[in-house]
Amino acid sequence: MAHPGPEPVTVGLVTVMFVAAALVAVGALAAAWRRDLTAALAGIPLMFGGAGVAFAGVARFSAAGGPELIGQEVAVLLAVAALALVALGVGIAGREGAR
Amino acid sequence: MDSLHAIGFYVSATLSMGGALFVAFLPARGTRGIALAVAGLGLAGIALSLSAGFAAAVILVCYLAIAALLAGPQYRSFDPLTHAAWRQAGALGAAGLLALLAYAAYRGDFVHATFYGGAIGGSAVGRILFAHDAMASVAVAAMILVALVGASAAWRTRGRSR
Repeated sequence: MAHPGPEPVTVGLVTVMFVAAALVAVGALAAAWRRDLTAALAGIPLMFGGAGVAFAGVARFSAAGGPELIGQEVAVLLAVAALALVALGVGIAGREGAR
Repeated sequence: MDSLHAIGFYVSATLSMGGALFVAFLPARGTRGIALAVAGLGLAGIALSLSAGFAAAVILVCYLAIAALLAGPQYRSFDPLTHAAWRQAGALGAAGLLALLAYAAYRGDFVHATFYGGAIGGSAVGRILFAHDAMASVAVAAMILVALVGASAAWRTRGRSR
């Protein structure tokens, strides 16, 4: 009788959602914990990144009945929006902050 | 998902989580910028292992730019003297958010579907961005334009006042 062998390593939507949840929570922690507002800005892209991971995961595993790649599109838009937000935040903090 | 993609996913998730934790707790902005770049690399790896190659490329470029902005010479600290109790309340809120989201992910009843997209999906995502959801793309482009003009105006104002 042949040996069945080890189980293959796999990933499901729940695993992706756990990682996304952890990234959103760490982003919220970074935004809340930092005393310096400009440093707290770094938490926002982490939260957006977590949301993007969740969208990409749904597009990969669970996009039944709609366009498959719509989640990937939202992940792209979230990354670009995070960049714009940080650029504006750093600009405003540079104007108002300590020189 | 085959084993190679799954291993890539777990390695990338570890990278992104480690980078994110360092972003939250490292004191120096230079090392914080490096940690954010590592987190962006992990996020791009996660997207790549989820067959979202185009999104991975965009995420990598955007997060490297964000890391450069936050570690660069234009960074100025801005401290509104927040009370320590509020920061601790925010940390507790983040822990509560993690518990809530993890519970929702664990108890969620998700639909399972077969993915027929390719590994990169650049042309398909491009078709969605510029044909199916052109208004969303235009709105985000307008927002980026406004943000960059605002940032430029803020930097110019600072330069004049020196």
